Amino acid sequence: MTTTEKPDLSWLDDVTMTELERHPYRTYERLRAEAPLAYVPVLGSYVASTAEVCREVATSPDFEGVITPAGGRTFGHPAIIGVNGDVHADLRSMVEPALQPVEVDRWIDDLVRPIARRYLEQFENDGRAELVAQYCEPVSVRSLGDLLGLQSVDSDKLREWFAKLNRSFTNAAMTEDGEFANPEGFREGDEAKAEIRAIVDPLIDKWIEEPDDSAISHWLHDGMPPGQTRDREYIYPTIYVYLLGAMQEPGHGMASTLVGLFSRPEQLEQVVDDPVLIPRAISEGMRWTSPIWSATARISTKDVTIAGVDVPAGTPVMLSYGSANHDTGVYEAPSTYDLHRPPLPHLAFGAGSHACAGIYFANHVMRIAMEELFEAIPNLERDTGEGVEFWGWGFRGPTSLHVTWEV
Amino acid sequence: MGFAVTVGGRRVECAPDQSLLDACLRAGLWMPNSCNQGTCGTCKLQVVGGEVDHRDSPFDTLTTEERAAGMALACQARPVSDVEVGGSGDRTTHPLRDLTATVLEVADIARDTRRVLLGLAEPLAFSAGQYVEFVVPGSGARRQYSLANTADEDKVLELHVRRVPGGVATDGWLFDGLAVGDEVVATGPLGDFHLLPESDDDGGPMVLIGGGTGLAPLVGIARTALARHPAREVLLYHGVRGTADLYDGDRFAELAEEHPNFRFVPVLSDEPAAEHRSGFPTDAFVEDVPSARGWSGWLCGPPAMVEAGVKAFKRRRMAPRHIHREKFTSTARSSRPPTRWADPDL
Ligand SMILES: Cc1cc2nc3c(=O)[nH]c(=O)nc-3n(C[C@H](O)[C@H](O)[C@H](O)COP(=O)(O)OP(=O)(O)OC[C@H]3O[C@@H](n4cnc5c(N)ncnc54)[C@H](O)[C@@H]3O)c2cc1C
Ligand code: HEM
Ligand code: FES
Repeated sequence: MTTTEKPDLSWLDDVTMTELERHPYRTYERLRAEAPLAYVPVLGSYVASTAEVCREVATSPDFEGVITPAGGRTFGHPAIIGVNGDVHADLRSMVEPALQPVEVDRWIDDLVRPIARRYLEQFENDGRAELVAQYCEPVSVRSLGDLLGLQSVDSDKLREWFAKLNRSFTNAAMTEDGEFANPEGFREGDEAKAEIRAIVDPLIDKWIEEPDDSAISHWLHDGMPPGQTRDREYIYPTIYVYLLGAMQEPGHGMASTLVGLFSRPEQLEQVVDDPVLIPRAISEGMRWTSPIWSATARISTKDVTIAGVDVPAGTPVMLSYGSANHDTGVYEAPSTYDLHRPPLPHLAFGAGSHACAGIYFANHVMRIAMEELFEAIPNLERDTGEGVEFWGWGFRGPTSLHVTWEV
Repeated sequence: MGFAVTVGGRRVECAPDQSLLDACLRAGLWMPNSCNQGTCGTCKLQVVGGEVDHRDSPFDTLTTEERAAGMALACQARPVSDVEVGGSGDRTTHPLRDLTATVLEVADIARDTRRVLLGLAEPLAFSAGQYVEFVVPGSGARRQYSLANTADEDKVLELHVRRVPGGVATDGWLFDGLAVGDEVVATGPLGDFHLLPESDDDGGPMVLIGGGTGLAPLVGIARTALARHPAREVLLYHGVRGTADLYDGDRFAELAEEHPNFRFVPVLSDEPAAEHRSGFPTDAFVEDVPSARGWSGWLCGPPAMVEAGVKAFKRRRMAPRHIHREKFTSTARSSRPPTRWADPDL
């Protein structure tokens, strides 16, 4: 008999999507220890789980961006996260101008602060609230919605869209033959997209004729010869990227940061007393529960060896940034939220040429929202009568966060 | 030979053995600061370039990790090369300077409590609420005492001092040898415990809570605030153990006559008396004020009282950035690194 040096990973056969969505850390902790690059059958894909391997794959010249199968089925082509070369460069040049730090600094405060105030006014004298639905998500979607030019779409609709696109995008289970295990799981995403088209198409018609300062209007016109606009079919997949991740994640990020702070009451108090600490609290919140937990991927462009595994050209690898940010090789006691841990870099915004384009904007939305929350309700307490549950493998955050305060 | 300190494009000279904070404040360049003795952490800054000697910076205030990450306490650190530090360098302040003063009056005004009046050779520019730091004759120890003055009372400084049994500055000097006509040496003004500039002061309601001689800076702040906006709501609580510790009652009664929305509330913690509230002043505030939204809060005195006050203010939903505090911390000396290996978890 020959012995093989390969670890026995047969336990992976029993991993289900439901398990990953509820408790991804269990599976990924074992992956980090046993096989930082491993084929995970239920996902039908290789998965990178440590900080080192995620960073290596994300930044390697031998890999390029690719969209996951369920992601591609949801967004269509060419979504910014799944294209490379000239098309990727064009889409980045389309989205980046509005997200440049100097540009964002110009208007972010005037955009986000009144939105945060408006939502706070609706409940600040109630003495109790569910912050995910009443604050974190609404501030997140309203801020980006107004930036994009979607003022006419109410916040609840934007929240409904990201939730439906999310479940479709992460409907990742594959059969052994490489088919979608749960094809009907895409239906609600399709419905959302039909509704999005019905609402956004007329806006695009208008912006083609009458450009304004909204981001989508700029996407249509910027860098195009006079009289021409980018084709709407060309930009829709990236609109969907925004309507899912960019809408949802600042809300996830705020809510996770708050739950983390509630787990450390003395640290919550420090942050409330000294708002200068908010950016640090958010950064640790992103590390602790990374909103984009495992949603993007890369594909090898030639035969390579990664973490001792021979990877032939054309092999997709999913990047599990949420797992990488719990790598014990980098972080001490990673599952503990700790405002004061050494501020090491984390991977919550990804790495390489496909790294998040909205880091600066997202961080400021979260900062301003938390500043206003603590200013209005400095005596915020978690409602200990209600539990907090985290959900999600592709995208992760608390599903609700009940709080109380004395009024 | 000294070194240059650069903050946001401004350059100041730092003499050998002068702290970064001292050098900047003497040049009229503002830096956040509160205790000036390494205990509060307010003056913590990032050293962007160059090297500093942390001197007596306590490890409780500036951790090993922070040192490794290039942080320093401006009130303790001495440059050992030209340095550049974080900060915008665009805010000015009343320059810090050396003061010589003559003792004009020493009066016992309450149990273990003295008022000391000091005549200055040169008027001092300061903001009500700030403090000065004295060198205790003979010992060289430095101790901080708050000014009870308003900014226009700039020639005679008023201090309220509480005796600490066995204390170097109090028992050993201010309550012992100090006599009218003595010369004292000090530096000032120091600290960030003061009102916003008049142009930014909207006359909003204020609550001030002083524990013991923590009343001193509040006397200057409350009078300044009322001079700016005579009808503003100002609630001043004085927390003491018993009636024997109360002082300046007449002064506040007079102020209340001139300002209908000013209220002085003594609160006795240990020796109740029929004519006064009993308990802690921070609890009295919670009972009296249902909502402090839009108020500013001022806390001065023993650290535990200041902490309790922050909690009470937040409970009544005062915005944390409007909470101002001055802790009468005693000089701590724990500048030895923590012994990690003694951690029971390891
Ligand atoms: C910014 C600032 C402003 C201040 N303003 C004032 C002021 O206006 N009026 C005033 O009276 N004080 C004020 N203080 C406190 C003052 O600076 C001295 O710390 C205090 O007078 C004690 O000094 P000492 O030399 O007599 O005692 P120390 O020799 O320093 O202390 C003797 C012993 O008593 C302990 N001790 C010190 N202080 C206390 C205390 N309050 N209660 C119990 N034990 C104590 C010490 O730990 C030590 O063991 C202020 C402090 C700060 C930081
Ligand atoms: C806290 C909130 C957010 C988090 C945690 C986050 C995180 C991420 C991550 C992990 C990626 C994938 C990176 C990779 O594959 O290496 C990504 C991509 C992206 N993000 Fe964000 N994001 C957030 C908010 C936003 C916002 C608000 C915007 C836009 C306004 C945005 C725009 C983008 C874009 C355009 C991409 C695709 C980049 C590319 O493929 O070239 N993100 N984000
Ligand atoms: S630690 Fe430097 S001012 Fe308090």
